[in-house]
Amino acid sequence: MSATKKSHPYFEYDSVKIWIAGAKYPVDATNTQESTLELLEKFCVAQGKNPDELVQSCLRTTSAGDLTISAKARREIDASIDSFVTENGYSGHQAIMLGNQIREFLIHNGVFMQGKVSFRN
Amino acid sequence: MEFKRVVGTRRSVRWLKPWRQVEREKIQVMLEAANRASRSMNADYPRALVVNRDQVSSEIRESLRNPTTSVELDLAPTYIFWYFDLGYVDGVQDRLKELVDQHALSPSHGWSHAYVDSFLWPQVLKPIADNMMALMFMGATETGIAICNSLNAAVDQGLGTCLHAFTAPEKVKQAFGVPDTWIPVWLQLVGYPLEEPEAGGQRPRRPLNKLFFEGNCDTPWEEDLEVTESLKQDGMIQAPGPFSYREEEVRMLSQMFGLPR
Repeated sequence: MSATKKSHPYFEYDSVKIWIAGAKYPVDATNTQESTLELLEKFCVAQGKNPDELVQSCLRTTSAGDLTISAKARREIDASIDSFVTENGYSGHQAIMLGNQIREFLIHNGVFMQGKVSFRN
Repeated sequence: MEFKRVVGTRRSVRWLKPWRQVEREKIQVMLEAANRASRSMNADYPRALVVNRDQVSSEIRESLRNPTTSVELDLAPTYIFWYFDLGYVDGVQDRLKELVDQHALSPSHGWSHAYVDSFLWPQVLKPIADNMMALMFMGATETGIAICNSLNAAVDQGLGTCLHAFTAPEKVKQAFGVPDTWIPVWLQLVGYPLEEPEAGGQRPRRPLNKLFFEGNCDTPWEEDLEVTESLKQDGMIQAPGPFSYREEEVRMLSQMFGLPR
């Protein structure tokens, strides 16, 4: 199982390790992790960034030298997530759920954001 | 619910049943509680605009979203936009004299119509009315007290509620005809709790001796442990989290709505 878990190259990124640890996926959810990582990978490729760079792109350094969340970048990435899932053919509950999975990666890396709520009929 | 238990049970509830509307009479109770709150000068500071979520256009709902408040806007069936009216000083002279006539403000404490008309108004209240910083400070402070009553009234009726940052005030103003003199304070979201009543447990607070003092500011307030124990019995002090089930509860609720784990 651990061999499978390590199969996706994204497991090597610090930001992905933080995410997996923070989200506390159960051990038997390796397939879920893999599919979620594939989703993240597609999004990262679309953004032209690796996972660590994706997190960094949501941050900026203030004039005082502090690292902070960039409101503008966060807004843009949030919109990009919505566009990404739509462009990949998802709609309704699935689109919201998958978009929120990408947000989950950013959230566990300290980028506070909220997605939409899905009301599945 | 007993008062002490209401105070102890109140906490920000962020998981609400989106499918269950809040009865109008319960909202009225909340508004009346706000209207009965302490208010300096007996002035009418607070204004509230109550809106049903499903009557809010998608454009306005989208504009209300921000990175820190989005989920709750979808879950809460009732929105209460709280403001204060900058014109709250208008009529204060008459309201204070009403209190004199009612003997709530009496000569025993120095009050008279003459004092209100000749001194209080020109020397104290009028200068406040002309001082924007004082107007804003008092308006926000006094409206906050009213909102606190509204929060507790919601809890008393078994509702869940939480205050949120007030975004897009200009769009709300246009959509609902909010007067120019109303200054936004908080958006109160209301609904029936979807989570356990503990809602993750009572929020951690620092002990009284870290916050309050007696006699002078070098002498921390010392708790009477018997009183503390009785407050635990009465529900004002409740068990803090985390509870063993809480993480799983949040996980299941997240799954229900397709939200991040």
